[in-house]
This record gives sequence, structure tokens and C-alpha cells, in this order.
Amino acid sequence: MHHEEEIDPMDAICCSIKVGQKVPDFTLTTYDPVKGDFGSFSFAEQKKAKKWTILFFYPADFTFV
Amino acid sequence: MGAEVIAISCDTQYVHLAWQKHEKMLQDVKYPMGADPTGNLSSLFGVYDEEKGIALRGTFIITPDGLLLNSEVNFFNMGRNIDELMRKFKANIHLAKKTNEGCPAKWKEEGDKTLTPSAAMVGKVFEALQ
Repeated sequence: MHHEEEIDPMDAICCSIKVGQKVPDFTLTTYDPVKGDFGSFSFAEQKKAKKWTILFFYPADFTFV
Repeated sequence: MGAEVIAISCDTQYVHLAWQKHEKMLQDVKYPMGADPTGNLSSLFGVYDEEKGIALRGTFIITPDGLLLNSEVNFFNMGRNIDELMRKFKANIHLAKKTNEGCPAKWKEEGDKTLTPSAAMVGKVFEALQ
């Protein structure tokens, strides 16, 4: 019998982080306009520096809103 | 104000460089522009649109200890109000110092009326806000 791998619709809802949870460590490659150079953002370092973090996601460069 | 702001999209860091240098509206940008081309970080925060390969308009405020306190997500065609982001951030700063207080809906900035929940306040929030 042919088994199709079904994606549980609950997975689409459940696997992202919720308000009140701890954010896992992550790093991001960045462009720093002040230095005019590429760099790296480390969430672990941010916590060591005891700073708040605001992540501002947006769809795409060279677009409008 | 003591927070690190990072703007993140699924473009690479090269596109960020090109855009920031080209678009005059971005000439005063001083915060890092993060690249999430795999969509992994966007997925972690539940804003990745797999079909389109781009992120929804999500803003997330995280404490120095790594706790996610605020989440705002809009569909692609609606921008977020920066005054509201500042209001929430200032409220978080206040509440981090005054852990027994709450900022009511009309709280805008330091000095505005807050609530200190207690058994005596049950059923009497109206009076507490006068």
C-alpha cells in the first residue's frame, strides 16, 4: 500500500516559539550600515551584554510598505 | 534606548548592502540588517511563508535574559506603527523594574498610571484607574 507522508496541520501551528518562551541561541549574518561592512549577530553575545533585542522581520528589500 | 534592533528579511546580506546604499529612505539606518535566506529564523518565529520564501511583518521584543515578551505579526500589505513599538518597549522597561505592576491599555510612557494588582482591586479596576 502506498503511504503518503501527511503533514499534520498542527505542525504548522505548533513548531514556532510563543510569547513567554525562551528564545534559543542563534546567529545571523548581517550588513552593518554604520560600519559599511558585513558582520554577525550572536544572540548568545547579546544576552551576555544584558541587552534587550527587537527583531523586526519584513518581506523583501527593494519593496514598498 | 538600550535595545539592539535588527531588521531581518530573507534577502542575503549583499542585497541589504545594495538596498541601503541605493534607497534614500534608508540613508539614516544605523541598525544591522540581518539575512535569513534559509528562512530558518523566520520559521522559528512563525513568520516564514514557505510558498513565497519571504517573511511576514513580525516584530518580536526579547528580554536580556532571552524571554520573548511581545509578538506582533501583520500580513504583507500592512506596515507596523513605530510609535506603538516604542510604547511597548518603554512599558517593558518600566515593568522590568516594577515587577508587581501592570501597564493598562492607555499607558503610553513613564509617569502614566499603572495598576498594582491585589485582592483589594478585584472588581475595582475602574476606581484604580481614576
